[in-house]
Amino acid sequence: MKSKKTALAQGFIRCHDCGCLSKRADKNRLCPLCGGQLHPRLPNSFQRTAALLLSAFCLYIPANTFPIMTVTSLGVGEPHTIIGGIIALVNSGMVPIALLVLVASILVPLLKLLGISLLLLNVHYRWQAHAKKWTVMYRIIAFVGRWSMLDIFMISILVSLVDMGGVAQVIAGPAATAFAAVVVLTMFAAKSFDPRLIWDNQR
Amino acid sequence: MNKITLTACPECDLLLNPTQTVVGDKAHCPRCGYLLQRPSKQSIERTFALSIAGLILMFPANLMPLIGIKMLGNAKDGTLWSGVLALFEEHMWGVAVLVFLSSILFPLLNIILSLLISAHLYFNKPNRHLAHWMRWLQHIDEWAMLEVYMLGIIVACVKLSSTSELKFGFGLYAFVALLIVTGMLTSSLDKVLFWRQIGRLKP
Repeated sequence: MKSKKTALAQGFIRCHDCGCLSKRADKNRLCPLCGGQLHPRLPNSFQRTAALLLSAFCLYIPANTFPIMTVTSLGVGEPHTIIGGIIALVNSGMVPIALLVLVASILVPLLKLLGISLLLLNVHYRWQAHAKKWTVMYRIIAFVGRWSMLDIFMISILVSLVDMGGVAQVIAGPAATAFAAVVVLTMFAAKSFDPRLIWDNQR
Repeated sequence: MNKITLTACPECDLLLNPTQTVVGDKAHCPRCGYLLQRPSKQSIERTFALSIAGLILMFPANLMPLIGIKMLGNAKDGTLWSGVLALFEEHMWGVAVLVFLSSILFPLLNIILSLLISAHLYFNKPNRHLAHWMRWLQHIDEWAMLEVYMLGIIVACVKLSSTSELKFGFGLYAFVALLIVTGMLTSSLDKVLFWRQIGRLKP
């Protein structure tokens, strides 16, 4: 049997951590099973997500314009931006890897930023159509976020391996910090967004 | 307080009657399609065994060299630690801490917490920290990024392969094995079952 009513409308609160239901009327604010804080929805979900998203948007600009690493070989230093690194890969004939980096470090962060913005607009303007599709989009955004760390890990490996003084050296650039911050902020933004807000607006 | 037997979907808050799922079944939310539960065979036993295997593999994967390079007569080995240390030496504090957390500390914590929880459930021993551990495990899960690190290693190798000689160390094989074990660990850990058992063991 399925009811089209939400748990909240029936007077139940679902614990975020262990998933057990408690009666809303109970005055205790802690989950009886796991002891976690009970909230009907994630607290200040909209505001938190919007703040994290805005910070991520701001940091996305330095992440793409500043050099992410400087490759020195035989005394000649050459700063690379994220896009520059991809172009270098294409020029040396490694197109599949270039595509992988393009997806992980440019497309995924950009689509995440746009996707979370759309989800916030959806909640704010109470769009009625395709609630299920929006939830699927939220799920995809929450899943792919971590793969953007690819570039950061690659830099940490290159920095430690290619460290031979004047012969060859890789130094991480300021964009690495900005890019890492974008990844972490968008991951937190996806985590603080509560997809149940989409369904609460359905009539 | 009478026991509440109902459950709710975490992503759309639809009130549901709990279903009896057997191994091989998948329980989806009828409204938003969220995967509610996918029971796995002998979840507790498997999690216990896999987390022991993971803990053992953690040592060679962290301490032994992953890849070594040779460039114009200079040789250098890289471990998980040396990547973090190299970033620290270049004063990239934020990135270094992030790499340390997501490639070393959180995977380790993930395995230790799985081991603790599954051992207590396997031997039917109540412990007042079980619910806390389970909550931490759920929060940490997303931030342990070994599989992304692996992709980072591959991309770094492709970038280096044109200019230098690469040598794969024993640590890399241990790392790949660790990756497989943690992947199996995540899929064998049935959260719904674990929470139910934790609730049952609660004094």
